[in-house]
Amino acid sequence: MSVAAPPTHAAARAVAATKIYGSGDTAVRALDAIDVTFEQGQFTAIMGPSGSGKSTLMHCMAGLDRVTEGQVLIGEVDLSTLSERDLTLLRRDNVGFVFQAFNLVTTLTAIENIMLPMDLAGSAGDADWVDEVVSATGLADRLKHRPSELSGGQQQRVAVARALAGQPQVIFADEPTGNVDLNTGAEILGFMRNAVDEMGQTIVMVTHDAVAASYADRVVFLVDGKIVDELTDPTPERIRAHMNQLGA
Amino acid sequence: MLRLGIKSLLAHKIRFALTASTIVIGVAFVVASFVTADSLRSGFDQLAEDINTGTDYTVRGELPFGDVFDAVAPPVPAELVDDIAAVDGVEIAAGGFFVDGVIPVDGSGEPVTTFGPPAAGSNWIEDESLSQFYLIDGRWPVGIGEFALDVNSFADYDFELGGTYQIVTPTGPREFTLTGTAQFGFPEDAGVGAIFSLFDSATAQEVLGYPGEFTAISVRAEAGADIAEVQTRIEAVLPDGVEVITAAESAEEFSEGTETIIGPFQTILLVFAFIVLFVSMFIISNTFNIVLGQRVRELSVLRAVGATPGQVRMSVLTESAIIGIVASLAGLGLGMLGALGLKALFSVLGASLPESSLPLTPRTVLWAVVVGVGFTVLASLVPAFKASRISPVAGLSEGTTSDERASLGWKRLASGGVLLAIGLVLTGLGLFGDFDGATPQLSTLGAGAAVTFVAVSVLSPLVARAVVSLLARPLVWFMPISGRLARANAARNPRRTSATAVALTIGLALVTMVSIVGQSLKVSFGDRLATAFTADFIVTVDTQAGLPQTLSKDIRAADIGTPVGFSFDLAQIEADAGGVQTGVTRVIETTLTVASVRDLDAVINIDVIDGSLDSFDPQSGLLIHSDVAGDEGLAVGDQVDLTFVSGDRRTFNVAAIFDGSGFWSNWFIDSALHTQVATTAFDDLLMVQSAIDDPEAARAAIDDVLTGYPQAVLEDRQEFQDSIESGLNTVLVLVNVFLGFALLIALIGIVSTLTLSVFERIREIGLLRAVGMTRRQMRRMIRWEAAAVSLYGAVVGVVLGAAFGVATSAAIPEDIIDTIAVPYLQLFVFLVISVGFGLIAALFPAFRASRMNVLDAIADE
Repeated sequence: MSVAAPPTHAAARAVAATKIYGSGDTAVRALDAIDVTFEQGQFTAIMGPSGSGKSTLMHCMAGLDRVTEGQVLIGEVDLSTLSERDLTLLRRDNVGFVFQAFNLVTTLTAIENIMLPMDLAGSAGDADWVDEVVSATGLADRLKHRPSELSGGQQQRVAVARALAGQPQVIFADEPTGNVDLNTGAEILGFMRNAVDEMGQTIVMVTHDAVAASYADRVVFLVDGKIVDELTDPTPERIRAHMNQLGA
Repeated sequence: MLRLGIKSLLAHKIRFALTASTIVIGVAFVVASFVTADSLRSGFDQLAEDINTGTDYTVRGELPFGDVFDAVAPPVPAELVDDIAAVDGVEIAAGGFFVDGVIPVDGSGEPVTTFGPPAAGSNWIEDESLSQFYLIDGRWPVGIGEFALDVNSFADYDFELGGTYQIVTPTGPREFTLTGTAQFGFPEDAGVGAIFSLFDSATAQEVLGYPGEFTAISVRAEAGADIAEVQTRIEAVLPDGVEVITAAESAEEFSEGTETIIGPFQTILLVFAFIVLFVSMFIISNTFNIVLGQRVRELSVLRAVGATPGQVRMSVLTESAIIGIVASLAGLGLGMLGALGLKALFSVLGASLPESSLPLTPRTVLWAVVVGVGFTVLASLVPAFKASRISPVAGLSEGTTSDERASLGWKRLASGGVLLAIGLVLTGLGLFGDFDGATPQLSTLGAGAAVTFVAVSVLSPLVARAVVSLLARPLVWFMPISGRLARANAARNPRRTSATAVALTIGLALVTMVSIVGQSLKVSFGDRLATAFTADFIVTVDTQAGLPQTLSKDIRAADIGTPVGFSFDLAQIEADAGGVQTGVTRVIETTLTVASVRDLDAVINIDVIDGSLDSFDPQSGLLIHSDVAGDEGLAVGDQVDLTFVSGDRRTFNVAAIFDGSGFWSNWFIDSALHTQVATTAFDDLLMVQSAIDDPEAARAAIDDVLTGYPQAVLEDRQEFQDSIESGLNTVLVLVNVFLGFALLIALIGIVSTLTLSVFERIREIGLLRAVGMTRRQMRRMIRWEAAAVSLYGAVVGVVLGAAFGVATSAAIPEDIIDTIAVPYLQLFVFLVISVGFGLIAALFPAFRASRMNVLDAIADE
């Protein structure tokens, strides 16, 4: 594994992160001593076959789940030292989320959904930044609409905007285009790419789609809870070739 | 998947338990009311049988009218005992007494009184099985200075054999030496909490105020004699106005009498039971709706693989029937416990009831099951039909969104409107209609209220979203995000919000109605009392019998002022309209107020509008209210014939017509005449117009006289008013305690709905937690959602209850309620409490939601 010298600009990193489900004979090693660093301002894709542990890695990195052994750090904060409450506050203030579906609270309008983490924190956020994010979504005229009045793509853009609005250290996206058609997917991925390039955000995305992964700066391949390979400046073809090589 | 399966099972278990628990409580109410009533019946029947062993006949004065249970029969002459004893076939006859209001005072000066059972004076006789008084300790009293006491009072109070004690008798307080203790009935004590002071027969006649008389004669036939034949022979020697009844007849009379108390008691409990069950129906219906909504996918798969709509319907109804059966059985158990509890409560209240088991009759079991299963299945009918209409492809489309849009249209408005109209018409009819008795009137009223509630539940979803949003607006000010979400959640599904809130609506509507009627009663009463009398002091007594009339004389003798005793008696009145001989005589049975009429002015505002009290002839004067004068066409100077329960019949002249109203009835006669025709010698209360200026001194002087009557309670005007009000409050509290069960059901309903809603929104909860909602914020959100829903239910309930309360107060005759008073502060407190109610109901669902594993919640499919 080619982990370079201690990273100076790590948004998030895992050090010997191990996650074991169950115990004894039935114990399953979902993550096996993973070391990985996600640099600030980078768009990273995590790929791997089903059951490879990519979602588990994301959940542990994002503070939704805890590792059994090893460390996970967001910025310089070691998540294993945090209480449940502090972990929640860390997610609220330093982590953004985009899920595959059901990203939005149906009773809140688009703008209320975007502001949700900041409202939960009781902070107004950075108004200029929020304006920038909102205008980047292209949904300025639909902000008062409820999720049910938005298309799937629009909903996902609102979800990305929510993740961006609080200027978190890192945004985790779990198959953000898994539920939409190709064009919409491209639109969302372009928006995410733009967030990294223009706004300097850090995004980590789990996907099994080579095209989606090709929007990233770097692709990390996971098999059986271990990082087996990675690729920088990927294209769909190269990604597929690697995947085939891994036997996925 | 396994974890999800277990979770769903757990959710089902909780749903099952919560749904069933509402029916359990309702059924338990039904069972408790039947079992307690049956227990009382069998206890009293056994008692009647016990005290009639050894006695074959009772000879007593005949009541010309009225009921043996609310009038005291006239006494019989003592000589009659010998005449009856001489009758062929009679083994033995003995005169006896039962005179209520004889109160012994123990060594520490405490009067032996009860709340309910009589404190009676009686006589012992040699043949104990005939009188049922059995000597337990010491010896029977002989002569004017001795008495025996019942064993229970002897044990409970400070008495010693050989000691001298005061007894307050109808002929005044006297001193007696205690010679022995006795028991009523043997071997089991059949006294049922009654207090007995026993004298020898001659002493009893003098002390109890029946010289040369007995209140009844007990007779036993010779062994083997024909009961009916001997009865006929006894009848032959009896003078007019005296009757003989057999032991069987007397036992039957006794149970009829006790039934007049047990019957209404059972009915009242059943009414509360049905209120609880009615409220439960809404909860059950709601629960089924939600659960079936969540199972759309499963049901549509069932339909897809070939289940007919009928089969789906049956599966739902079967499920509800099973819940109903389980709940009925649990309700039976809880009801038995409740009956035990009621019995314990009675004995705490001082009514010691006859020993008896708790009889669980087949009738009770049948009721429990029919009511339990019936209400549950009835409640699930609508959900079952809805479920059967789920299409086989419903599960393929996006499944289970509970957010409904519009679809609340004209159909709902129309059907709700029609129901509301029917409900209001029935209610109005019940309140203001002309009815033949209380039962049809109350049934109409109840049906009207029930239909109105159903109508409200139908209409409520139309306004729920708007009203909830309005009511919950403050949440957004105080808790920006939790509050906004709570408000949105409470309003997101108006049908569910309405169904959840309606239970609370019904409970609070009833509580509000009771409190408005109660307040109106209090204010009307208070106003009337404030102006009704001018007396400085009022002497009352807690026992049934009243105060010996000697008290009034003692106060007069002590020169404290003008005492006026008031008592009430039954009489039959024959009047010719307008005093003109029309040939048509109407007989009215009415309550007379008896008092020293010439002194009335001193203590009450009688407000004479025609005639005068000064020229009132105590021997033949009659005072009537202007209403009666109008109704019966009577004027001053008219003649009226009155028959008393003693059988005496006198002619009276209308001396004056009055307009004042108060605690008295519409007819007054003078106490001087009444003592000649009365069967008792007690005043129900005594008013004193003090002649002593200093109130403290006056009170001290009256207190001094009252040392001879320790059971008496002396109050000034304010205290009297307060104690009447507090008595009324006690009744209101009791009613509210029972209505509290309806509120408990509402609470369970909120818990149940919220638990299911949380489960349904698990993914949203997971999302909120993921993006940083803390557990505390989560709990707060759910708590205030519940508070918003219950506030909505409460507001509707209070508005509805206020309308009912005002209407009911208006419908109650003016001589009872003439001022309609709305206790605004109290209603406001109800609303505040209901918010608290919601917060409490949300404790469990909020806890569950906050503990939900974020990953599982997000992953939930």
